[in-house]
Amino acid sequence: MKTRATTPPPLAQRLLLRFLREDLAEDVMGDLEEDFYRTLNHKKPWRARLHYWYQVIHYIRPFALRKSSPRSLNHYAMLQSYFTVGWRNLSKNKLYSSIKIGGFALGIAACMLITLFIHDDLRYDTQYPDKDRIYRMYNVYKENGEVQRAVWFQAPFARAMKEDFPEVEKSGRFLNSELFGAGSNQLRRADETDNTYEEGFIYMDQELLDIFKLPVIYGNPAHLLDKPRTIVITKSKADKYFPNENPVGKQLVLNNDRDNPFTVGGVIADVPATAHFTFNFAMTLQDVEFWQGEQTTWYATNYHSYILLRPGVDPRQFQQKLGLITDKYLLPMLKQSGRINAEEMAKNFTLELQPVTDIHLYSTGIEDGLSHSDVRFVWLFGAVAGFILLIACINFINLSTAKSANRAKEVGLRKTVGSHRSNIIYQFLTESLLFSLISFVLGAMLAWLLIPYFNQLASKSLVFPWATWQLYPLLFAAIFIIGILAGLYPSFYLSSFKPISVLKGNLSRGSRNATTRSTLVIFQFATSIVLIAATVIIYRQMDYILNKNLGFNKDQVVMIQGINTMDRQRQTFKDELLQLSFVKSATISDYLPVRGTKRNGNSFWNEGTRATEESISGQFWKIDHDYIRTLGMKVTQGRDFSPRMPTDTGAVIINQAMAHELKLKEPIGKRLENYRGWEIVGVVEDFHFESMRGKIEPLAMALEPGQNIISVKVGATDMADALVAIEKVWKKFSPHQPVRYAFLDDQYARMYADVQRMGRIFVTFACLAIAVACLGLFALSAFMIEQRGKEISIRLVLGASMKSIFRLLTVNFLKLVLIALVIAIPIAWFVMQKWLEDFTYRTEITWDVFLWAGVIAVAIAVLTISYQSVRAALARPVDKLRSE
Amino acid sequence: MKETRLGEFEEVMLLLVGILGEEAYAFKIAEEYETQSGRATSIGAAHSTLDRLEAKGFLKSEMGNATAERGGRRKRIFTITALGKRVLKESRDFRMSLWSQYPAFADKLNYLGAF
Repeated sequence: MKTRATTPPPLAQRLLLRFLREDLAEDVMGDLEEDFYRTLNHKKPWRARLHYWYQVIHYIRPFALRKSSPRSLNHYAMLQSYFTVGWRNLSKNKLYSSIKIGGFALGIAACMLITLFIHDDLRYDTQYPDKDRIYRMYNVYKENGEVQRAVWFQAPFARAMKEDFPEVEKSGRFLNSELFGAGSNQLRRADETDNTYEEGFIYMDQELLDIFKLPVIYGNPAHLLDKPRTIVITKSKADKYFPNENPVGKQLVLNNDRDNPFTVGGVIADVPATAHFTFNFAMTLQDVEFWQGEQTTWYATNYHSYILLRPGVDPRQFQQKLGLITDKYLLPMLKQSGRINAEEMAKNFTLELQPVTDIHLYSTGIEDGLSHSDVRFVWLFGAVAGFILLIACINFINLSTAKSANRAKEVGLRKTVGSHRSNIIYQFLTESLLFSLISFVLGAMLAWLLIPYFNQLASKSLVFPWATWQLYPLLFAAIFIIGILAGLYPSFYLSSFKPISVLKGNLSRGSRNATTRSTLVIFQFATSIVLIAATVIIYRQMDYILNKNLGFNKDQVVMIQGINTMDRQRQTFKDELLQLSFVKSATISDYLPVRGTKRNGNSFWNEGTRATEESISGQFWKIDHDYIRTLGMKVTQGRDFSPRMPTDTGAVIINQAMAHELKLKEPIGKRLENYRGWEIVGVVEDFHFESMRGKIEPLAMALEPGQNIISVKVGATDMADALVAIEKVWKKFSPHQPVRYAFLDDQYARMYADVQRMGRIFVTFACLAIAVACLGLFALSAFMIEQRGKEISIRLVLGASMKSIFRLLTVNFLKLVLIALVIAIPIAWFVMQKWLEDFTYRTEITWDVFLWAGVIAVAIAVLTISYQSVRAALARPVDKLRSE
Repeated sequence: MKETRLGEFEEVMLLLVGILGEEAYAFKIAEEYETQSGRATSIGAAHSTLDRLEAKGFLKSEMGNATAERGGRRKRIFTITALGKRVLKESRDFRMSLWSQYPAFADKLNYLGAF
């Protein structure tokens, strides 16, 4: 410290010399130093140094500045020369150049695709004009330390929000539960007879349309859904059912319900894919009441509710006031229903607002039954993109420094004829910019070509944004930044050569920087190994989910949907199907253990404890006598329903989770209640009917005829034949409606589509990263072997075997890979442990994952290197040695 | 044609060069200015003015001897040229003639305050 304090600050001195005219350098430096020591006599050292800085800054005056005009005259010519030399170098070393550029382009293409993907995710729900004031409501309920967040509200909730709070400008609801007829339906024009199966039905308030201001094509935006039994359809559906006409006022019939047709109130533009909820048909909620008093009850929660705050309202402050709703409506309801702990329940219940733009990425932990992405995926993919780019940059750096020996003479000569170090740095940076430019052009083209495949992989509908002008400045900035970053180290390294030693031939050819290069190779391989391990674990988890013992048999089951239009003939249809020789059994029930079939929520108690005990929330399914048999569930206690037992109409079969929650050791013969009492006659083994991210919920099943779906267990025959026969039976019953079926195992796999999709994307890009790393290793090994060509030839002449040459050449690289392995294992273990924690049912990370990752990495490395090694070992020694 | 008028700061610089003689280099001049006028300046500002006066031909400079406290670097010593002396003298004469025309209480005014 002392020595530093008593001399002028070196940085300031360097700065001074940087700008000062050369002829002034000596006396000015002298003056300032004299001044510095004078100041030091009566001031503290730091004050003196500060003073020195002050004096230096004050020398930045026109008279003292170095004149730079002669150099800038030369700039253009030099730049041209740099490009020429760069281009010549590029075309001289075709292999290295193509690997440099190819790897770079690959990395850039991957980055672009991921960037588009992320950009798309970030764009969700930004299309509404008032997006900053639109909030989704959700409720938070804390119970025994567990926090539940859900978006479903009571029917009168939205209106209460608007009436009780002046801050709320508008409030609206939608309802998408299949229980009420949303989801999928059979549809036809009132003047036609053939039904078409359509998806994307939803119930909605006119005011919700007012909040979101979806673009209207036909109809009055203020009166789209404000009359009873109106429906709004999207543009593409309008084109399908009413080509070339204005559909407003026309009628549509749902599920053959001829007496209650819907009138088209308007047509809106197709809901963009970047909306958190989409639909094709919006039916009005005006004057709808699904049962007596449904619209005024505070008992049932089914509605997604949104509000539009008035401009200037602070959502945080507003949120504080929402206790009013609990006090005014929920507490009386709870008290009225005889809950003794009503006060406490109300205290644990809060309402919160979620900005509409946050819904897509920040809804983890909020139950809403919609499918979302997760901001963690954005980070994950962003990181993968970053790593790919980094690996590509490392390739560039490694190859540039490795090839330095070949450029060393050039650098030496340039310096000898008067080149500054800065000139040489400029030269190499220019070259790297040239590489970056070519790579970006190729990368952009590659990304453009690959986008259809990527869309398939990610089930997105991305387009390459050639037309958006913002792309181009961004692209240029990226070219510049990446070019500079990748070229920085090589250019400083190459420009540091001393002309005398280089020209004398002292530079040990390319090996001087072996340590840096090795570090970078280790980094590349560590990254690759983490990605391989992650891939293996993701695959294992997917496999675990898809093939776990589910508690039911999903194979060979065909679900035939849409039998609700058959009405009373359903049972006959089932009987006819059972006549077919290959149909083992069939069951009519709308509740199946795959997503997209009916669900409900019910509260259960041991009978008679309603007033004193906490309720158990669970599912209450309606099944028939053949259900358990058809789906291959296992009855562990008691018995299945039997047609011979007329008392079974008052009986339920529960799952083990329900028995556990009700704390029943011997459940058979005990009674439980929800809206009435039931006798438990059987217990089935727990089976998964929701995503494996959550626990298996309690479930009770009672006998009641289903409406919509018949599931058929088919014996071991040709499935195609079976389907033809089934369709034939269907035609007899429903000639105007095409048969619609799905396989249970397909539907089951679809539940994990998002996991699989994310897995596939991740795996694809992991492979890409590994490929880029391999490209680099390939070129590097080629170079190393080229360098040692003479050594190898002499060894061969002296009688070395091919094996020993091979070993000599591979061992060094393998060492690096092994070090990378040691570094990568803990990282991979930690990261993947975090990922798996998301699943309630998951595989364990076992040591063999890392064994595999290691084996794969080593194998890839050996394969990459061995081509070059074998070639070197097979070469005729005379070819290499002849020249001397 | 060369600019022959002198600014006030330029005039002071010229005078200081004359006063300091053999020791007239940028650091000393700046230091002397500060002690004599009581106002702060930077070496760069002084040097800039000296450079301008040299360009006008009022000063010339050559590298002088080196001392240890300046890291063995030589000083740039400024000396007044004949032209410089004449311009100084003209400037003084002009002021004197103005003073002679001024009413009796002239000494109560501080004409340097114009700077």
